[in-house]
Amino acid sequence: MLSFSSYFSSGYLAVYLPVCVLLYALAGQRGRRVVLLLFSAVCFWAVSGKLIAYLLLSTLSIHHFGLWLSDVQDRSKAELAAAPKEERKALRARAQTHQRWILALGLSIQFGILLVLKYSPFAVTNLNNLFSALGLSYSLRVPRFLLPIGISFYTMQAASYLFDVYRQKCSADRNLFRLALFLGFFPQVMEGPICRYGQTAHQLWEAPPLRYQNFMLGLQRMSYGLLKKMIIADRLNLLIKNVFTHYENYDGIAIAVAAVCYTIQLYMDFSGTMDLAVGAGQIFGFQLPENFQRPFFSRTIPEFWQRWHITLGTWFKDYIFYPLSMSKPLKKLTSKARKRLGSHYGPLVAGTIALFCVWVCNGLWHGSAWSYLFFGMYHFALILLGNLTQPVTDKLTGALHISRTSLPYRCFQIVRTGLLVCIGELFFRANGLRAGLAMFERMVTASTLEPLRNGTIFQIGMSRKDFFIVALLLGAIFVIGLLQERGIHLGTRLAQALIPVRFVVYYGVILALIIFGAYGDGYVPVDPIYAGF
Amino acid sequence: MEELLTILNEIQPDVDYLNCDELIDGHYLDSLDILSLVSEMEDAFDITIPTVEIIPDNFNSAQRLWEMIQRLREEG
Repeated sequence: MLSFSSYFSSGYLAVYLPVCVLLYALAGQRGRRVVLLLFSAVCFWAVSGKLIAYLLLSTLSIHHFGLWLSDVQDRSKAELAAAPKEERKALRARAQTHQRWILALGLSIQFGILLVLKYSPFAVTNLNNLFSALGLSYSLRVPRFLLPIGISFYTMQAASYLFDVYRQKCSADRNLFRLALFLGFFPQVMEGPICRYGQTAHQLWEAPPLRYQNFMLGLQRMSYGLLKKMIIADRLNLLIKNVFTHYENYDGIAIAVAAVCYTIQLYMDFSGTMDLAVGAGQIFGFQLPENFQRPFFSRTIPEFWQRWHITLGTWFKDYIFYPLSMSKPLKKLTSKARKRLGSHYGPLVAGTIALFCVWVCNGLWHGSAWSYLFFGMYHFALILLGNLTQPVTDKLTGALHISRTSLPYRCFQIVRTGLLVCIGELFFRANGLRAGLAMFERMVTASTLEPLRNGTIFQIGMSRKDFFIVALLLGAIFVIGLLQERGIHLGTRLAQALIPVRFVVYYGVILALIIFGAYGDGYVPVDPIYAGF
Repeated sequence: MEELLTILNEIQPDVDYLNCDELIDGHYLDSLDILSLVSEMEDAFDITIPTVEIIPDNFNSAQRLWEMIQRLREEG
């Protein structure tokens, strides 16, 4: 039966998207806009039902606050132009305060809804725990809300629009439909990428005619995403689910294997979903921002976060890290600290305060649970440790005559970063922080090579054949990534190749999906992980 | 411009600031370097750099930084 709950569901891939593309191809420019808007609304409704009211009201609110900000800015400009020079500073300050209040109100509505729907159950549960710890018999009823799909992604995108209008990086959009399409474009509304108004709003509204080249490149990109998801992510789910649910029954080495498998699964699932989103956009001729840039080639944790979920990272950097670290008190702190602690440790003080806030937000953005907060703090600690020890490691590598650009050293850094990421993901996936800590302890203290030697590792949910298939495709993805790191993009080359070559590859991908795809008896496709955030 | 180059060299030596035009995109300057740079530039040139100016386009080369400084000075 056809279903429609994610971008990987048969209803979306076999009916929804093809019908949308067909109607888009047949329509004129105005019709193409209508098709995109209509299908975006239907997509949200198909997944979230009557919660589409949230999308509609929120869009109206964002539109209104954007215009309000813009009107105040226009009025202030006119007043400044007419005012004598000595009065301008005071006028500018007054207009700034007025705009700040409007921005704060607009953001409060967006983040307020998110906080109530997503975080109030967590807050109330913890409050009840506190009451109980204090010996009070009083307890509050834990609220349960239905969440509109992709609300965390949507809120970030909507907030970025308001920030950008406030900062005059973009003009407020008077066209409600253009803004609605920017906020609700269906290939990205569930899991991002989190786009900026300047990146996509006008190209979406342009709604260019369908072109064969774009169509083929888009399909190619989507097929790559399907391979990642159906052959790797869904297959790994069998082992991951077993180990993470009953970790106490497994050897430490099995937990380590499960942590690595989960990291791979998360990457394949999310980057595969992004391939589907960017690919669908490409079919229509749109260029959505990339969310991944081969993160497992990163040499350090900060570099990893510049390559993993890029649009979320840049959001935090632009709207939390810099505004905080550039606030007057923290600027003063940097200036003073630089004089006392020097050019490395000086800016680190204010930077660390801002970084801490970023990682609290990053952890909680993923979900309302202590394990997510721990995940955020884990990465904060790793980045801080890296910053604190950098002068020492610089000296040490210099004293030991280790070339930091040599291949062995780079490989060491890449493997180290990968392992640290896997440990973080163990806590991220574990069923609660307590389970995460217990799993980590078991991994460190109760690991033997026995499950690898006697083959019991192949009885946890994945057979030798499953491991072999996953390894084979991961090898291919690694080679493609390595080539991309060197500036060679196989996808573009394939699109320019001779027709027989192209079709051999396309049919090969279809056959691989049919033969090796993890579906049918014994397999339960994992729900797209990031859609839950 | 000389003063700006001195500041840049103090914060992050080993970069050819006269020719490099991807200080941010090429990861020559990280976020902590930018914090130092903003603080130093504000003190040295008596300007206030608002957050909205902290975009790669303004920080990718010494020339672009200098242009931003000139502009902010004019705006007062």
